[in-house]
Amino acid sequence: MEFAELIKTPRVDNVVLHRPFYPAVEGTLCLTGHHLILSSRQDNTEELWLLHSNIDAIDKRFVGSLGTIIIKCKDFRIIQLDIPGMEECLNIASSIEALSTLDSVTLMYPFFYRPMFEVIEDGWHSFLPEQEFELYSSATSEWRLSYVNKEFAVCPSYPPIVIVPKSIDDEALRKVATFRHGGRFPVLSYYHKKNGMVIMRSGQPLTGTNGRRCKEDEKLINATLRAGKRGYIIDTRSLNVAQQARAKGGGFEQEAHYPQWRRIHKSIERYHILQDSLIKLVEACNDQTHNMDRWLSKLEASNWLTHVKEILTTACLAAQCIDREGASVLIHGAEGTDSTLQAASLAQIILEPRSRTVRGFEALIEREWLQAGHPFQQRCAQSAYCNSKQKWEAPVFLLFLDCVWQILRQFPCSFEFNEHFLIMLFEHAYASQFGTFLGNNESERCKLKLQQKTMSLWSWVNRPSELSKFANPLFEANNLVIWPSVAPQSLQLWEGIFLRWNRSSKYVDEAYEEMVNIIEYNRELQAKVNILRRQLAELETEDGLRESP
Amino acid sequence: MEFSELIRTGRAQAELLPGPEEPPLRGTLCVTGHHLLLSPGPPSTADLWLLLLRSVDSIEKRVAGDSGTITLRCKDLRVLQLDIEGVEATLDIARSIEALSSLESVITSFPFFYRPKGLRLGDAWHFHPPECYYKRVARETNAWRLSEVNQDFSLCPSYPRAVIVPRAVDDDALARSARFRQGGRFPVLCYHHAPSGTVLLRSSQPLTGPQKRRCAEDEDLLRAVLAGAHPGARGFIVDTRSAQAAKQARMTGGGTEAKAAYPGWKRLHRPLERGRALQESFVRLVEACGDPEQSMDRWLSRLEGCRWLAHVKEALSTACLAAQGMEREGACILVHGAEGRDSTLLVTSLAQLILDPLSRTITGFQELVEREWIQAGHPFQLRCAHSAFSHARPKHEAPTFLLFLDCVWQLGRQFPLSLEFGEGLLLALFEHAYASPFGTFLCNSEKERCLCEVRTRTHSLWSGLNHLKEQRKLRNPLYVLNPLAIWPSVEPQSLRLWQGLFLRWTRPPESSEVAWEKVWQIVTEREKTEGSQPTAST
Repeated sequence: MEFAELIKTPRVDNVVLHRPFYPAVEGTLCLTGHHLILSSRQDNTEELWLLHSNIDAIDKRFVGSLGTIIIKCKDFRIIQLDIPGMEECLNIASSIEALSTLDSVTLMYPFFYRPMFEVIEDGWHSFLPEQEFELYSSATSEWRLSYVNKEFAVCPSYPPIVIVPKSIDDEALRKVATFRHGGRFPVLSYYHKKNGMVIMRSGQPLTGTNGRRCKEDEKLINATLRAGKRGYIIDTRSLNVAQQARAKGGGFEQEAHYPQWRRIHKSIERYHILQDSLIKLVEACNDQTHNMDRWLSKLEASNWLTHVKEILTTACLAAQCIDREGASVLIHGAEGTDSTLQAASLAQIILEPRSRTVRGFEALIEREWLQAGHPFQQRCAQSAYCNSKQKWEAPVFLLFLDCVWQILRQFPCSFEFNEHFLIMLFEHAYASQFGTFLGNNESERCKLKLQQKTMSLWSWVNRPSELSKFANPLFEANNLVIWPSVAPQSLQLWEGIFLRWNRSSKYVDEAYEEMVNIIEYNRELQAKVNILRRQLAELETEDGLRESP
Repeated sequence: MEFSELIRTGRAQAELLPGPEEPPLRGTLCVTGHHLLLSPGPPSTADLWLLLLRSVDSIEKRVAGDSGTITLRCKDLRVLQLDIEGVEATLDIARSIEALSSLESVITSFPFFYRPKGLRLGDAWHFHPPECYYKRVARETNAWRLSEVNQDFSLCPSYPRAVIVPRAVDDDALARSARFRQGGRFPVLCYHHAPSGTVLLRSSQPLTGPQKRRCAEDEDLLRAVLAGAHPGARGFIVDTRSAQAAKQARMTGGGTEAKAAYPGWKRLHRPLERGRALQESFVRLVEACGDPEQSMDRWLSRLEGCRWLAHVKEALSTACLAAQGMEREGACILVHGAEGRDSTLLVTSLAQLILDPLSRTITGFQELVEREWIQAGHPFQLRCAHSAFSHARPKHEAPTFLLFLDCVWQLGRQFPLSLEFGEGLLLALFEHAYASPFGTFLCNSEKERCLCEVRTRTHSLWSGLNHLKEQRKLRNPLYVLNPLAIWPSVEPQSLRLWQGLFLRWTRPPESSEVAWEKVWQIVTEREKTEGSQPTAST
């Protein structure tokens, strides 16, 4: 195997591992093609198995012949390995560096991983677009499934099947695609059964400097409005940025050409601004200076919570248009693969009770992120510790999860899943044994034959033994729209992600356990009482029978 | 009654807007000697709405046309709006509220008139006398005795009648030591830590003055403390002022213990904010919390600028230092600042919560508040005269007690199983400290309480709380006795704004409370089912 070339020293003895919350362990370090393994050989529980793809950056230091490698992971954990012998240390470090930055996707672990569990339900087929559409088709006949993108020729970042207005044929869709950035013509993202209003999403229109138009685009967008109704176009860029985009061939919908639509500009940051924000935030969280002023000003300077607030505000706006104004919404930014998806998917969390269940949320991730073409591979290639300035990384998905967490925190009984579910998704988006988050869109995933060659994350998650870890014990189905507060005082730092490795959560976890136990025990007692009541009733009727003759 | 002179208009028609999430209430508004009442008209079935005038912190009136608006900002940080018919009525009511809410006389205050059903006067006042705590100490060690040297409050006006002092020191020596300490607050025991056999003491600053005066009896007293602990015991004096401030205090007659005069004792300085600076921090925090429309940057920089969380961190760190000295170093600790009635109590009471599992129970915590705050002479009346909305220039106001409650809340957040009481008890104590129908937080010291006959003429908050129907609101459903010390993390990342208090009236109701409410429901249901089980099975 070609990995062997990269591993000059496959094992070193007497390596000391330091990691958060555990005492230092001495053991044997082994490097394999995909893992870094430390085994103390005394007790299996002391083993470390770390995916190379989870490693974000490494530092090495030497004191005499004792080398130290500090490994910074994409999940923000920092571990330290003390390795005796300078040569061994250098070899290990260069191997880790090489193995954690492999270019080829097909060399990634998901292509080698063989599950040790029985697959009950193949996650690759758990959320098919046809099934999702069936949920709507009972309520409306105004929409249809289109296979126009079957070969990924019309829009490379869309899935083969999309939902579009029934009155628009595939020919028109092809024309609209040429008028939208990346071929991302407007498609249905969410149908609000209560009043028939919809959320659509797309790429920006390619109006350019000379104000190009596209009749089919105007027709498509208007076809989604009922007679006399108005709609809102939510542009996730500020007006200024949208205007500047015209110089590069992009732009926004001119009011004159879309008379029934009102355009609203919001400004959600993207790309390196978000990445810088994450880097600053994680740096602040790891700050050891014990100074309250410094911590608060670093937290402020990172701007992370400002981004959370902006995204939530935009999602609330979209949800408000739908539920309170009774107006349909089209959301787009520039490419329509980042902030657009944040706003559209969060609006659904607010509006749609189903998306707050485990299955519904998985379906949302599958439909609104994976199939909608969020470029996971580019965005999640590096995390907060990376020094090299690359263009494509951005914690867009993490910000989305953070926003979901904020809503979950404000409505602790309305979600079927708990915080750990969100943390798990974060981890797997950045490094995973499953193929779900590989590739940048459906087209790439097809070419990689992920369905045949890798295991889906959902196959693993949806087993009862795993699901029980992610269940929210306080869940009580809430069929209402939930309106989160976006006042700055209401938004908090997500400790479960950002302070996870700095602060022991032992006591908080214990409390959570205790709560779960109480609820479990209560359920048992209730069941017992019911049995006893039934027995009592039976005895009473028996008595009655005996006495009556 | 003299109140009638202050009430200009008996009644008026008004509409009350109680808060952003609650429906408005219409009815007849009435000002009485101690309350503002709103009784809804016949079509409404809502109950009478009642506000203790004492809890009004500031009042603002506006008139337009033939009606007026009064905005009441309460000491518990609630903001209420009253729309009143009639300009004259509005102005009269506003003036009456203003006059009645700022009455200074203690014996005309509401607790002297409050006679709830089911409570008997005099009950619960003796729940927690000093003798009671001494019994516990005496079981653990015989190095200490209960002294009644302050029987008539002549030695130290801010101490209770009985205090716990080293057995080896007689009352005469205490009297001399008292003369050497500001306000007569000689070193007394506040906690004996049985596992390590060490003690926590508090006092005020020594009056060394510029000539570096000494007092042999004071030195003997501290020597006796070490001798009574264990052979070779060391001690730390935790001064809650900076070294600089302590030095400067000499100019005004105060000062700090000279190293040479107290062998075995080492002085540590941990400056804690007090007085006006603390009050301003509180005012600025509440101001920042009241504005939901600001940007995230502005909010975070105001949160930083008000420095409240920095004060929380300093208080907790100093308490940890004191607790660590006792538990880990086996040392005795003496805490004092200048007067020994504010930051000193903050440190000694928090250190006990960290170390002593008993003080984390509901009764233990009430006992701690009674012993370490009320009887220890924290001047509640001066400190809590106004809350964060007052326009008056603060004189003696300072939210020291609130800072203590905030620190306790932080402990509870980090150790969710270890406190028997919940946020509800802390919120109740905050409210009652600032305005209450009970007499517990009245006056500035035991001496004043005796003069006003608070104990015989008012009801105690403790009996009020223990008779509360909503008992469970005070309790933590997840409590499990934790026999160990609880060491909080004082890193800034670990400390949080106490939303339940500072954002209580501004944020939407659905939040962690709903989750707690649900856990409570389940726990009570469980108790019910468990209770009914034996009868069902027999």
